[in-house]
Amino acid sequence: MMTCKDVSLLLSTGQLDDAPLSRRLAVRLHLALCRHCTAFRRQLERLARAARAAGREFDREPTSDFESKVGKRLESEG
Amino acid sequence: MEPSLLARLRRRDPASLKAVVDDNARRLYRAARGMGCGRDEADDLVQEVFVTFLNGLDRFEGRAEVRTWLFGILHHKIQERRRMQAREELHDSIDEIFESRFDARGNWTRPPVEPDREAASREAGAAIRDCLDGLSPLQRAVFQLRQVEDLSAAEVGKILGQTITHVGVLLHRARTRLRACLDGKGWTSIP
Repeated sequence: MMTCKDVSLLLSTGQLDDAPLSRRLAVRLHLALCRHCTAFRRQLERLARAARAAGREFDREPTSDFESKVGKRLESEG
Repeated sequence: MEPSLLARLRRRDPASLKAVVDDNARRLYRAARGMGCGRDEADDLVQEVFVTFLNGLDRFEGRAEVRTWLFGILHHKIQERRRMQAREELHDSIDEIFESRFDARGNWTRPPVEPDREAASREAGAAIRDCLDGLSPLQRAVFQLRQVEDLSAAEVGKILGQTITHVGVLLHRARTRLRACLDGKGWTSIP
C-alpha cells in the first residue's frame, strides 16, 4: 500500500512514467481515492504551467534575425 | 544522430547547418535565460555554443542527438562562466521541509489544497522568475530542461552528466523550493 509520502515523492521526482506498471497503477488508484495527493499533483501541474509561461516571455526577446546572426558567425568561423 | 546528417554537417553543408540553427537557437536562448543568464549573455552564449558545435563535429561520434549535444555544450559554457561545479550537496535543507509535511506513517500532516484560481500566465511567469534565483545552479538547470524544454530525465541526465535518479532528486528539490517560495509570495495555496 503506497502512502501519501510515497505518491507525492514519485510525482515530485518526475519518475512516475519510468516506474513499473504495478507502481503506476497503484499511484493511479491512490490518486482516485486521495484528494490531498490530487491537490498536490495539481499544484505541480500549475508550477509547470508557470514555468512555461516564464519561458514564453524569454521567447519574445531575440530579434527576428537571431538565427541569421548565428549563421553569419558560423560562416565567419569557416 | 543519423550518420548521413553527421556527414553533411562535417562537410559544412549550409542547408544542414541552417536547419540545426533554426531548430535549436531559440530554445538554447530560452534555456540560457531560464538558467539565469542576462539577455546579452544568453545571446553571446548561443553563438559560442554553435561555434563549439561546429569545431567539434570531426571529433563527435554521433552517439547523442544534436539537441542533447547542444544543450550539453550550453551547460558546460554556463558552468565555465560561473566557475560552478556540476555536483549537488548530498543534504539539502529543503528536504526537511518536504519531510515535515508527513507523519511517521507517510500521511499528510498539512494537506495541500486545490489551487483556488488560475493566475494569468504573465503574472505566474513573473512570480516564478523571482523564485528561480533561489535554486542551486543544477536544480535550476534540471527544472528548466524538464519543465520548460520538456526533455526526458534520461536526456537531461546526459546533458548534465547526472544519473537519472539524481535528476529526479534535483527536480524534486527544485519543485519543493519553488513551491515554498511561491507560497511566501501568496501565489499558491500551500498551507
